[in-house]
Amino acid sequence: MATEVVMPKLGATMEEGTIVSWLAQVGEVVEEGDAIAEVQTDKIVLEVEAETTGVLLKTLYDEGSTVKVQEVIAYLGEEGESVDGIDHKSFSASQAAAAEDSAIQERPFENPNKKRRTPAARKLAEANHIDLRRISGSGPKGRIQKNDVENYLVENTKKITPLAEKIAVDLGIDYKNVTGTGSNGKIVKADLLTSNPTNESHVQPAIQQGEKRVPFKGIRKVIADRMVQSANTAPHVTLTSEVDMTNCVRLRKELLPVIEKISGCRLSFNEIIFKATAHTLQRHPDINVSLDKNEIVYHTNVNVGMAVAVPNGLVVPVVKNANQMGLAALTEECKALGKRAREGKLLPEQMQNGTFTISNLGMYAVDGFTPIINQPESAILGVGTIKEKPVVINGEISIRSMMVLSLSFDHRIIDGAPAAAFITDLKETLENPFKLIV
Amino acid sequence: MSNAATLKSSSITPEKLKSMLYDMMVIRNFEETLKKLYQQGKIHGTMHLCIGQEATAVGACVPLTKEDKITSTHRGHGHSIAKGTDVMKMMAELLGKETGTCKGKGGSMHIADLDVGNLGANGIVCAGLPLGTGAALTSKMKNLGYVVLCFFGDGATNEGAFHESLNLASVWKLPVIFFCENNLYGMSGSIKEMTNIENIAERGAAYGIPSETISGNDILTVVEAVERAVERARNGEGPTLIEAHTYRWEGHSRSDARKYRTREEEKDWKKHRDPIALFKQKLIEENILTEEEYGEMEKKVQTLMDNAVEFAVNSKAPDLDTLMTDIYA
Amino acid sequence: MREITYSEAIREAMSQEMRNNQDVFIMGEDIGVYGGAFGLTNGMIEEFGPERVRITPISEAAISGCAVGAAMTGMRPILEIQFSDFIMIAMDNIVNQAAKNRYMFGGKAKVPVVVRLPGGSGAGFAAQHSQSLEAWMTHVPGLKVVQPSNAYDAKGLMKAAIKDDNPVLFYEHKMLYPVKGEVPEEEYEIPLGKADIKKSGTDISIVATGIMVNRAMEAAAELENEGINVEVIDPRTLVPLDTETILESVKKTSRVLVVYEAVKRGGYGAEIASMIAESDAFDYLDAPIRRLGGVAAPIPYNPELEKAAVPQVNDIIKECRKLMNK
Repeated sequence: MATEVVMPKLGATMEEGTIVSWLAQVGEVVEEGDAIAEVQTDKIVLEVEAETTGVLLKTLYDEGSTVKVQEVIAYLGEEGESVDGIDHKSFSASQAAAAEDSAIQERPFENPNKKRRTPAARKLAEANHIDLRRISGSGPKGRIQKNDVENYLVENTKKITPLAEKIAVDLGIDYKNVTGTGSNGKIVKADLLTSNPTNESHVQPAIQQGEKRVPFKGIRKVIADRMVQSANTAPHVTLTSEVDMTNCVRLRKELLPVIEKISGCRLSFNEIIFKATAHTLQRHPDINVSLDKNEIVYHTNVNVGMAVAVPNGLVVPVVKNANQMGLAALTEECKALGKRAREGKLLPEQMQNGTFTISNLGMYAVDGFTPIINQPESAILGVGTIKEKPVVINGEISIRSMMVLSLSFDHRIIDGAPAAAFITDLKETLENPFKLIV
Repeated sequence: MSNAATLKSSSITPEKLKSMLYDMMVIRNFEETLKKLYQQGKIHGTMHLCIGQEATAVGACVPLTKEDKITSTHRGHGHSIAKGTDVMKMMAELLGKETGTCKGKGGSMHIADLDVGNLGANGIVCAGLPLGTGAALTSKMKNLGYVVLCFFGDGATNEGAFHESLNLASVWKLPVIFFCENNLYGMSGSIKEMTNIENIAERGAAYGIPSETISGNDILTVVEAVERAVERARNGEGPTLIEAHTYRWEGHSRSDARKYRTREEEKDWKKHRDPIALFKQKLIEENILTEEEYGEMEKKVQTLMDNAVEFAVNSKAPDLDTLMTDIYA
Repeated sequence: MREITYSEAIREAMSQEMRNNQDVFIMGEDIGVYGGAFGLTNGMIEEFGPERVRITPISEAAISGCAVGAAMTGMRPILEIQFSDFIMIAMDNIVNQAAKNRYMFGGKAKVPVVVRLPGGSGAGFAAQHSQSLEAWMTHVPGLKVVQPSNAYDAKGLMKAAIKDDNPVLFYEHKMLYPVKGEVPEEEYEIPLGKADIKKSGTDISIVATGIMVNRAMEAAAELENEGINVEVIDPRTLVPLDTETILESVKKTSRVLVVYEAVKRGGYGAEIASMIAESDAFDYLDAPIRRLGGVAAPIPYNPELEKAAVPQVNDIIKECRKLMNK
């Protein structure tokens, strides 16, 4: 049985050796302890000694070959013994080099614009969801210190109620520019809702046995909360009144080309109703009011909100000082706001500071309804569809274009009589739109 | 140099003489086994074999009791075996196993066994001398009666600690024996090139220490010299310096082409001054040992070593969580 | 309470332990009738005799190893190295022997040796007798490193060091030797690895070692007048280090100044600073961790140069103001 001669380990760091020369020739008899080969290690040249006495049967590597430690390099045995059938593993240094080849991973370069700040400042900002870029640092080289963040918190974040803050975070609303209507200008929930853009929709449908389930959150949740809050806090009373819109139909027909020429927008009944409502509100300051804790606020501006249906909900852009606008300007403004609303491009300020809201369902087969007040406003006007009806006028039946108005008001601060007076005045204005000129 | 002692002058029993030969054979077989295991890649790191120096290791330990202590060197396997450290555990230590003398944490250069008075091999040349001096101070201060024998090589005698330790032990008259195994080379440095005196023993005079140079390959000479030194130490007469000439057959460590000496010199020592062959021959000549008995002893040694290797190979590696244990008491 | 000096406190600790335990003894150069280079062992040879107050040759390489060998075999030696700078000659025995024996021997040895090391600058001894190289020792696993800043701590820590079964390097500051403090006569120990809050405060945590504790206290008093409320922490032992006390303080104050006499570069204060930066206290930091250490120069002889080489009270005050952006 042939004996293997292996590349011996000849030093602590030796992984492989190079056969410098064979000191014994194949067929030669070697004694135990005789040098068979010279091997170059990582340090020096050493001899490989025969562990047994025998004939050098075969050498597996030429001089100059590099062989891994423990690989067989030769066989010793009896004279004439064959080693041809024995498997031996070969090894090349290039294989090892290839195995060790490692790719260098490049690290992504960090944002060089990162603001200089202390760890404590960073931690406090993170805990309060504050973007450090908004804060200017008072430390060396503008470094943001913990007290800079604390000051920022006192000046900014604390002017919002915890509920409103939660809503803002949920909806991703940047409330920095929202004007608070709460005490000391504190942002309350309502401020966010009137200003809520709808470009946030995180619906992730989960279909189960044919039914669709949508997480109740985002704008849907906000609308729900607002409606519940309004319905539960304000005692709603809804007055309805049928209005003869025949003169308005005529007015629209005549002004449509005129206004289209001026503004490029097509006049619709909506703007005529807007104009009439703003005009009437100006004359009924007791309807253009809000409740702020212990005080009733009589607004000097007439800012009329317009409920706009958008995918997954509704938003209320506000036409500021609608009472001071002509129909052309009003048409242009309403069309622009409606477009922005449907595209989700309303700016927060375009949804703020409403004093009254109009909800127009006239494009549907709706006659009258009970709208819910858009708090902190105190009244809302529901507009139904215009349809021709037989109406008795001065004892005669004639066909007129009729429409039902529904006025919901907050009975805490508005009583039935002033509300009735307002809707009556509005009805008369719409039936005789020339009064708007007055 | 002292003449080779005769058995008649020895008070050692025939049984003890045979067990001394046996211990020398165990050391040689242990080292040869390690050499094979090392070449097979089973031993990590490096090691320093003491083949050819069996007589100094065994001879120096013969006069010592279990309570007496030794300090050893990086070429310390023979010293440990001679002082009584278990061969199985040493083999396991060399293979880095948890059953090893040092739980696999020390390796070849740090085998220690305090239970048999082995204060440890040492990876630092000459470091055993100050330590041994301290151990001797304990013996003196606590009146424990034990002596300490410090093994070191010729290379260590040029370290400052050699001179400082000899001086300190001398002025405090400590029970310590400084035993120099002069194997002619400190790594590759020939003692002839490294010192300018004939015998290292001459250095003892500088510190007022009795010193002698002996043949380290004649075990009985070694035993007698150490017996005299032990007696002085036990009598409170202080340290002795013994220089024992010997030869390491192998290179310094595993990667040593031995270019600094001739093959003729090696052959001469192996052929004419093999300490085992010399002692065996003497025992046979004086009818204490037969060739048959010697053959039996060889078999017994081989069985011991086979068992040691089997034990070591089959032992578990230390758990990784022992990495951070035994750092502090 | 009774007031004694730092050196008297150390001597009292050693003497008490030598009375309590026959295995405890002291060895070193000139520690006999001379009383040691700094008089620490005055009167000890008279009480304990030359066997236990062992005068050695000037042979650091031998006496350090001898102490280690004696410790391994059952004694509890206290080795006085005359100046801590001379440990360089004893390094092998400290680093390669004492620190590692237990580990190398698989847990079988213990080395209960105390190495006393008078260190520090300020006495005009210049470059080879004034260094603070304690960081070198803290780097070596297996060693413990103690650095008392006052007499009370010195006594309690010395007693704990003698009773410890590990090699303990006991760094004494030679400028503190004559400084008196309240020290009870009775026996007490201060466990190794327990930091002490020398003064509590809210604005900055000063972690100071050795004599710098005293300078930090002076600085703190001055800063108090400026409305800066400093907390001063003395780790007392560098290894093991009481990280918890330091980190709690940092979380409270959000600002850290580490002060040490050793050369700032690679000093132990760097380890303390890194430890803080890696910990969860990082999130509480409101300013970068600052270090005050010695300049990277050998300790000079001229007294003004010598002072300039290591942190002084004013340096600490200035650094604290910077930390407060003032």
